[in-house]
Amino acid sequence: MVRRLAIVVLLVAGVTLIVMAGTHNLRHRQMVMQKAQQEAQLAPADDSSTSANPGEDPAAKKLLGKSAPSFTLVDLNGKKVSLADFKGRPVVLNFWATWCGPCKLEMPWFQDLQNKYKGQGLVVLGLDTDDGMAVKEVAEASKRTGVTYPILMPDEAVTKSYQLSDYIPETFYVDKSGKVVDQTIGAHSKDELEADVQKAIASGGL
Amino acid sequence: MACAPLVAQDIRLGDAPVAHKGHVELLSDAVEVKAGEPQVVELRFRVQDGFHINSHTPKDELLIPTVLQLNAASGMKLVEEEYPKGSTFRLPLDKTETLDVYQGEFRVSVRLVAPKGSSTLTGLLKYQACDNAVCYPPKTLPVLVAVTGR
Repeated sequence: MVRRLAIVVLLVAGVTLIVMAGTHNLRHRQMVMQKAQQEAQLAPADDSSTSANPGEDPAAKKLLGKSAPSFTLVDLNGKKVSLADFKGRPVVLNFWATWCGPCKLEMPWFQDLQNKYKGQGLVVLGLDTDDGMAVKEVAEASKRTGVTYPILMPDEAVTKSYQLSDYIPETFYVDKSGKVVDQTIGAHSKDELEADVQKAIASGGL
Repeated sequence: MACAPLVAQDIRLGDAPVAHKGHVELLSDAVEVKAGEPQVVELRFRVQDGFHINSHTPKDELLIPTVLQLNAASGMKLVEEEYPKGSTFRLPLDKTETLDVYQGEFRVSVRLVAPKGSSTLTGLLKYQACDNAVCYPPKTLPVLVAVTGR
């Protein structure tokens, strides 16, 4: 009798322990899920197009809020072009290369934006970062993208002063006062480019 | 008679390989072949996860193709290289065009005639890597494979 009672007690205790463990485990999983959901809500919206983009790191935006470094370069026709030529106008500086697919995706969009915001004085300049490529080939490549805005051939001083990353495209949005109001690395959607263009247009007015 | 290609083995020789600052690694560095006869050796490469490189025949002539440039060691004869077909890849923002790329592991077949004994196949893999949004400048990966002719 005592033995049977002991077995029953042990069974009840075992079942109780299993139920308690299960409840604890469930609570733990619920807490983990809840925490994960909270973190997901706190995290910025993930855009699959840029999630692997190292340029989304705010630390990479080294020139943000600073004056855009001055330069004088030559365009594809050998004409000298200085950033100072566009003083008082919003300027987009887009660093690209002929072998860069994402760059060539953005370039027609920059052309569209140049056309759309011409009235607000927008200037788009493409800066080709090809290493040792002939001007003629760069001209042909840019023509294929459909852009007509000036393509400049940057020198080492410019890539240094703009602290370019090891990857492209990289774009600087400069307002009318010459300040960098945004800096992006990697291809972005046309809407994102337009938002940055509007930021450059709206900022730095007298 | 057609023979199955020999896959270069993942045998590390001597010191650990020097890390290559790039997006592609050579997975194999040693192979045994039948000496004095044409043999097909597959060299295995792997593209870092999340990246792609142009195939040997990208769709756009402006894109930089993947090219393996080999130097035959003394006594070794290189006949030809054969590249794998690329896979179709679309940039998330690009609604119109696709790319022809290598992702993950890919193998380049090399037809060669090796001498008896030990020799070394050296060369460079030239490639240009991108991820979904950015591209990196063209790079070269040193290739060094120990070939033992039996």
